Amino acid sequence: MTERSPFRNLAVAAVGGWLTVFVILPNLMTLATSFLSRGEVEFAILPITFSSYRELAGPEFLRMFLDSAWLALGAAMACLAIGYPFAYILARLSPKKRKLGLLFVIIPFWTNSLIRTYALITILNANGLLNKVLLGLGLISAPLDILYTETAVFIGLAYTLLPFMILPLYASIEKLDPRLIEAARDLGAGSFQTFFRVSLPLTLPGIVAGTMLVFLPALGMFYVPDVLGGSRSLLVGNFIRNQFLTARNWPLGSAASVLLTAIMALLLAVYYFCNKRVRREAAA
Amino acid sequence: MKKVLIAALLALFLAPAGRALAAGDDALYLFNWSEYMPPQILEQFTKETGIKVVETTYDSNEAMYAKLKLLEGDGYDLAVPSAEYVNRMRKEGLLIPLDKSQLPNFKNLSPALLNNAFDPDNVYSVPYMWGTTGISLNTEKYPADAVTGYADLWKPEFKGDLMLPDEMRSVVGIGLKSLGYSINDVNPAHIEEAYELLKKLMPSVKIFDSGNPKQALLNNEVGVAALWNGEAYVINGENPKIVYVYPKEGTIKWMDNMVIPKGAKHVKNAHAFINFILRPDVAAQICEELGYATPNQAALELLPKEVRENPIVYPTAEQLKGSEYEDDLGADISLFEKVWTKLKTGN
Amino acid sequence: MKRSLKAAYLTAVYGFLYLPLLVLIAFSFNDSKFLVSWKGFSLRWYASLAGNSSLLDAALRSLALAASSATAATLIGALAAIALKRYRFAGRKALSASLYVVTVSPDIVMGISLLILFITLNLPLGFLTLFLSHVTFCLPFVTITILARLSGMDQSLIEAAADLGAGEYAIFRLVILPIAMPAVMAGWLLSFTLSLDDVIVSFFVTGPSFEILPLKIYSMVRLGVKPEVNALCAVMFAITLMVVGATQLLMKEKR
Repeated sequence: MTERSPFRNLAVAAVGGWLTVFVILPNLMTLATSFLSRGEVEFAILPITFSSYRELAGPEFLRMFLDSAWLALGAAMACLAIGYPFAYILARLSPKKRKLGLLFVIIPFWTNSLIRTYALITILNANGLLNKVLLGLGLISAPLDILYTETAVFIGLAYTLLPFMILPLYASIEKLDPRLIEAARDLGAGSFQTFFRVSLPLTLPGIVAGTMLVFLPALGMFYVPDVLGGSRSLLVGNFIRNQFLTARNWPLGSAASVLLTAIMALLLAVYYFCNKRVRREAAA
Repeated sequence: MKKVLIAALLALFLAPAGRALAAGDDALYLFNWSEYMPPQILEQFTKETGIKVVETTYDSNEAMYAKLKLLEGDGYDLAVPSAEYVNRMRKEGLLIPLDKSQLPNFKNLSPALLNNAFDPDNVYSVPYMWGTTGISLNTEKYPADAVTGYADLWKPEFKGDLMLPDEMRSVVGIGLKSLGYSINDVNPAHIEEAYELLKKLMPSVKIFDSGNPKQALLNNEVGVAALWNGEAYVINGENPKIVYVYPKEGTIKWMDNMVIPKGAKHVKNAHAFINFILRPDVAAQICEELGYATPNQAALELLPKEVRENPIVYPTAEQLKGSEYEDDLGADISLFEKVWTKLKTGN
Repeated sequence: MKRSLKAAYLTAVYGFLYLPLLVLIAFSFNDSKFLVSWKGFSLRWYASLAGNSSLLDAALRSLALAASSATAATLIGALAAIALKRYRFAGRKALSASLYVVTVSPDIVMGISLLILFITLNLPLGFLTLFLSHVTFCLPFVTITILARLSGMDQSLIEAAADLGAGEYAIFRLVILPIAMPAVMAGWLLSFTLSLDDVIVSFFVTGPSFEILPLKIYSMVRLGVKPEVNALCAVMFAITLMVVGATQLLMKEKR
């Protein structure tokens, strides 16, 4: 019935066209480059080779990937832990208040991220605001070493990525029908049970979306970890940047990017199939 | 009503966007580090010549090079690469030779800073600013003679209190220099030696930072750091106890240079601009604003004595003994890069 | 949960979000060239900002770019969500996968490959190429947010509308869009934020006459970031608050 609808055709053509030209085509280019050789005058030259992938098989890339994945996962979990209750409370406010509340979540992020990260340094450093307040309150006797530790990196990442968790969560929690919760309560479910049996499953798509929108971009991110963590270890993002710019090894950089995408695709596929199975079992 | 409002807002937003595009023939498209050319200098140039300067910026030589190379220089009239990239771009035919007859002020430059290996006879480049990568030491924490060369960075007392630039060339260069080799040495055996040495330095390093080293030194996060002298100068001004040391092995030097990319559309304007920058009064003004060293001999005499004689900005010939510019390494850059990756994934 | 506890939680998170902002605004009044220590109150950075037209121009251009690319990304992203959710067509899985590819793609890879694409297509570098690139990297954020909102949507609503003779466009506008609205809004806000702050992709795809604010700020490496930038951020923040305040007032009056 919908096959001949002009709107359908327009939507499919617009989306398909856009993604083909600006996403699929450039990514095919990257894929092709990853099989070329490094050139000194030209960036990538024939012959075709697998040597870039062989180079990535060493322990360094694995190490970088695990470091990056650890930071991205930590950031996603921290954002989820902070963001879920926040979005939940926000979505229960009056319609006017919740819109305004949402706007005020995002407004700080319209300020340049570099300046915001520098402000975080001013707060976290040895003579910083945080230490001064804690010392002043007598909670600590010597300044805490937070800056240039993993804690600082997680604080920075959680800070930078929080809206990318809160907004999708909010959009999905907002539609949760309060009557369902009331019904669960009326049937004698405690608040704990109501949350885990009703609210959580119904908002799961939002949790998944938010986690992905935090985790996936965080994998390639290196600026915040570098500035707040002291840049002592290389992340996948640094490595790829170095290959393209400093080492001028475009095939290796492309291969690393392709590998990153492939690992992600694999993880998503695993998630997708597990999810399907769980659902089928739940339905059965 | 709502839609009209949105449309009006959009139009309001888009107006300045459209405006930015036109500049016309009397223009100069400058590709530069941000705030590296004081706005009042650009205004003065426009006032005197009628040429409008349109500036876009980059954050590293590497990024600038990749972009100019892909575009074959198309659209950019003037860029400010550092020494190694002048050499690289020159050899790859990405630059236009300068017409010295249009640069009468070229004579103001200090001969000691001209005719370098990266561009013999300055056929393609004119020095803009220069400096060194030495060592800052907090003498409140350590005796003043604790550091005399790069090799002292390995001292056990600096463990966890050291900052290095987050730059491959500088760090590998420090390793090579400590061993007595050139920073441009591409002998694999020497590089391997430098790697082994640097590996032992890694546990000492608390921070790699080249964007904002002032913060860490002034807040006492670290007591010793390898960094640009421009930063060291500022730090010393804020806290005179943090001194700058020229390493006895010979310091790493850098120089930013004005060049005209191959695809430039306003070559004449670019020459006029270079010549303007070389004017002593202009060069002196830039130097006072930026705090980096000017290669302009005539401008130097216009500067206040305390600037001109500050050894952090203007080292003596003795302090510069054995100093080198980072030069292009060609394909051997890969050797350096592998060391860098191993160093940074090892801890 | 108790009411006061909820309020306390919201306040704590807003505090976390706004504290760095307050610090950077405080530093815009600092009478020092550097963002390190407090040297006394001064308005000098606001004065020098007023004289720095290139910084102000770049900020305006960034706002224009962010507003227009966020709007386009929301539109196309919403269409993508509908197309992926509601229609079956050849290559649907590939398109859906390509959205996730965008989110993992390192900026530099996207920037360079898009630049090569634009050179091949012979497009003039500047607003247009920035716009196309920004829409592209914002798309997944819109689509994924909307898809999450639409998941578990009551299909009977759509069937009822179709039975009543609504065409696809009517179903989109009158049934799906209203349900998706909070997600559409969220998608726009995320896109606007992403676009306003992008550096690496923008560096590669912009041209010699179109400088935007984040590029300018990230390129201040030779001398460090000037407090002028803090002043600019403070001004932009103040304007944002005024616009929000004015809109609230207008909406009140309308009622």
